[in-house]
Amino acid sequence: MNESAKISVKDFNLFYGKKKALNNINIDIFEKRVTALIGPSGCGKSTFLRSLNRMNDLIKDVTISGEVLIDNLPIYSKDIDVVELRKKVGMIFQKSNPFPKSIYENVAYGPKINGIKNKNELDEIVEQSLIRAALWEEVKDDMNKNGLALSGGQQQRLCIARALAVNPEILLMDEPASALDPISTTKVEDLIFELKKNYTIVIVTHNMQQAARVSDTTAFFYMGELIEYSDTKKMFTSPDKKQTEDYIRGRFG
Amino acid sequence: MQEHFNQEIEDLKTSLIKMASLVDEQTGKAFAALETGKIELCENIKRKDLEIDSYDNLIQIQCENILALFQPVAVDLRFVISALMINNQLERCGDIAVNIAQRVKKTRDFHNLIADSQITEMGNNARKMLSNVIDSFIHNDLQLAKQVIENDEVVDQLNKKSFKFLVAKMKENPELIEPCSHLIVLTRHIERLADHATNIAENVVFYIEAKVIAHEKKLSRFNPDSNSVES
Repeated sequence: MNESAKISVKDFNLFYGKKKALNNINIDIFEKRVTALIGPSGCGKSTFLRSLNRMNDLIKDVTISGEVLIDNLPIYSKDIDVVELRKKVGMIFQKSNPFPKSIYENVAYGPKINGIKNKNELDEIVEQSLIRAALWEEVKDDMNKNGLALSGGQQQRLCIARALAVNPEILLMDEPASALDPISTTKVEDLIFELKKNYTIVIVTHNMQQAARVSDTTAFFYMGELIEYSDTKKMFTSPDKKQTEDYIRGRFG
Repeated sequence: MQEHFNQEIEDLKTSLIKMASLVDEQTGKAFAALETGKIELCENIKRKDLEIDSYDNLIQIQCENILALFQPVAVDLRFVISALMINNQLERCGDIAVNIAQRVKKTRDFHNLIADSQITEMGNNARKMLSNVIDSFIHNDLQLAKQVIENDEVVDQLNKKSFKFLVAKMKENPELIEPCSHLIVLTRHIERLADHATNIAENVVFYIEAKVIAHEKKLSRFNPDSNSVES
């Protein structure tokens, strides 16, 4: 893995009150790659994901130490604008959460609050974002439809389009397909494969097969520690650590 | 993950096609040298076999990755299983091409024996079987695969005839014992080549029809009521 790191995490610890949730994490996440975070419930993978755009700031009693560098800038530094950071590092959640607004407004919302008023420019952003999210063909004739009236799979792709509209560089996805049926899951997985041409993607998934199918690199977390991090093919054929092997074989504990 | 998966399957198919065309090239060279006695045609045959061996390793890894990462089922699973087995057969065919080439030096002064013992005809049949079975795999051509299986009988018959002919020659003239022995080994190689083509054809049938037809005849002779082991 001799590539440049888009995200570089160094000696990172995170506490919920006194409880240590992440223990001395060191990891480099590479540009325009899909990195999957796997591990049993409570292992710290979602906490780690949320650390990458400071979503944990919103939780009371969270303290951290160590560094997270994105493009070599320390994101926990005092002079970092968190709003700008979250524009650059977008997030997709497990449960799709479109605004109760039209499809168009859902996607245009971000650019609008960022000051874009020109209608043509907004139209262009909305169209491009929906195309990139592989939703355009399904909704282009019905842009005024309420986002909540779409199917679950379409709603999730709408949320991806909404995230893309503010021109992020990194997408964090927290179980983006776990609430979807197999066909919608395939669409979202195909989309992830397509998006990595332009974006750096970090995805948390409980579904090991999904991690295997979509990612280039995989990180296995257990009890707040990063146990193993390597090329996904290696991880699923000959992992270095016995704990990893036990987990991927479903023989844990 | 349809797109990603399809890409991996296409890559695997491409590797198999490249490996098969190398094997075809190698057997072609070996037979041409055998027919003409021109050893120089086989000059690089051993080195080229290393390329086939590299494909053997590559395809094994490709199959392992697909199985580990995508857990294919149904026709996709049969494709990967067939690919693994075909890979194995092709690698052996590559070795046989080298074996045949190695006999050329020892038999090249006995052109008449080669021609009269129908070895050339046997070789042509075996090569045709091999190229047809590869086509059947690439184009999902079930009929062609079944035709290859039937053709094995032709090669077996030619093999028996060759054997009888060469033994008779040895009895006639003890000076021919050595070249005839080499030619008998050679016919054995060719017969094995046809067997590998047949095995590949059985893998193609398994891939397309989900039927295991290997050893069918033998098993039904042994136990006419059933050709499968009770499970």
